[in-house]
Amino acid sequence: MVSGLAVRCAAGSGPAALARACAGSPVFEAVTRFDASGRRTRVAATLPGTPVLVAELAAVIDEARDDAGLAADSDDPLLLAAHADRTNVATAVELARRTGLRPPSRTYTAACVASTSAVADAATMIATGRLDRVTVAAGYLVDEDTFALFDAGRTLARDGRVRPFSAGRQGMVLGDAMAAVVLESAGAATRRGAPALARLAGWGRTGDAYHVCQPRPDGSGLARAIDAALHRAGVAPGEVGYVNANGTGTVFSDCAESAALHRVFGADVARLPVSSTKSVHGHALEASGLLEFALTVLALRAGRLPVNAGFIEPDEACQLDLVLGEARATDTGYALTVNAAFGGANTALLVGAA
Amino acid sequence: MSAVTSVGELAVLARAEWPVGDEDTFPQIAGFVMSNFSPLVAEVAERCLRAHYGTAPADPVRGATTGVVLASVRGDVTTADTVAESLRAGRRVPPLLFFQSNPNAVVGHVTARWGLAGPVVCTSPSGDPLADGLAVAALLIEDDAATEVLVIVADTADGADERDHAVAVLVAGTQSGEE
Repeated sequence: MVSGLAVRCAAGSGPAALARACAGSPVFEAVTRFDASGRRTRVAATLPGTPVLVAELAAVIDEARDDAGLAADSDDPLLLAAHADRTNVATAVELARRTGLRPPSRTYTAACVASTSAVADAATMIATGRLDRVTVAAGYLVDEDTFALFDAGRTLARDGRVRPFSAGRQGMVLGDAMAAVVLESAGAATRRGAPALARLAGWGRTGDAYHVCQPRPDGSGLARAIDAALHRAGVAPGEVGYVNANGTGTVFSDCAESAALHRVFGADVARLPVSSTKSVHGHALEASGLLEFALTVLALRAGRLPVNAGFIEPDEACQLDLVLGEARATDTGYALTVNAAFGGANTALLVGAA
Repeated sequence: MSAVTSVGELAVLARAEWPVGDEDTFPQIAGFVMSNFSPLVAEVAERCLRAHYGTAPADPVRGATTGVVLASVRGDVTTADTVAESLRAGRRVPPLLFFQSNPNAVVGHVTARWGLAGPVVCTSPSGDPLADGLAVAALLIEDDAATEVLVIVADTADGADERDHAVAVLVAGTQSGEE
């Protein structure tokens, strides 16, 4: 179960971030953190000031553990997701020192599925009885080098908007995000009287075995990850009432994701609300999956589904029941959050209402 | 399949290293430039999978549930440094560096060539990289997310006194690894 969470991104912190996502109001502005002149686009979704990764991560970890009613210094295990970097080990050690948690054995670096892979491993550790409780944290701050790389790769939207599944979409916009969640066995949470925010009912992960950087167009790899998550939970596709999509706003990726949803949900996909909150908070790379997982938990708790912002008009290749215009009310018991990354890596996390 | 040996709860089906001897080399791979990291990963994976399967692709049934774990302490520092130097010098960032900056990319090269459709996990281990990579593999197998896992450990040279180095092991659960 999920017993605590915290998020911080340009759209706000915690419930404020969900409110902004439900309003469908993007937070993309001209970058001032570095000189973005000469790039094809100059916008991103950045936190104010000059945030420092390890300090921001420590803050959201403390907040999530406080939300879970846990003491700051407990020697609990920590799993971390961040960009692959020569400083990862130093960051992990410093984070443990600041939070009092056990130093992470590793930093998950698999791009857009880094943090959801960490969640799946944490869930496995708990499900197999290795551990009672794990804190998972992820962070990404928009930096000049990554911005220049994505610009060189022509993946950033020239119009400065993320338009998932829409005709006329041009690509992604990068965004800062920090997120932390506390996952705990139901038994351990009950013993200490901790209320559940939600349940991680199922999880699945697969590879496309297809290409270096493009998803398998038929969506079969991502569909297998979703099937695995549903199977593990014993939940039928028809019981799922919302999908927080990967929805990067890139042409190929959105088409493949739409194909995956059609494979899993069949004709029911016409009545399955879907939105990509990246359309509001941007793409937080290694932290995106955990941010979107946390927003999905908050959405189920609030009974409000976030808007798929930036939409212009339907794309015949992405026929989905997108949440457009305004947030949609829900009383669904299950929501999926799905992510896909370079190298054909796919993850699906199934959130159950508490 | 037969287990070569076992490590903890895992059966080791095949193992390969780079370098083997002082004169060892590896080929470049199309679309990857300037850095040894991705070719190093691809070569050690290739050696390990060839040792077990002979030629690509893997057995389709087993490949469908074979995952890949890439553990690298420092990641592709050459690509990262090349980008930083390009920016500092006011030069255009080479577009090919975009996808290879991400460790998943070369894993996609390996999995597409060999038909490995299990989970893809990339990490920066804090301790012993091979031990940690095997620990991640054990989790994937215990989770039923994979039946076999190709664990790759790779780091490029950190200074003139070092060489690039990589190890790959193909592992299975001990039950499935026994004949």
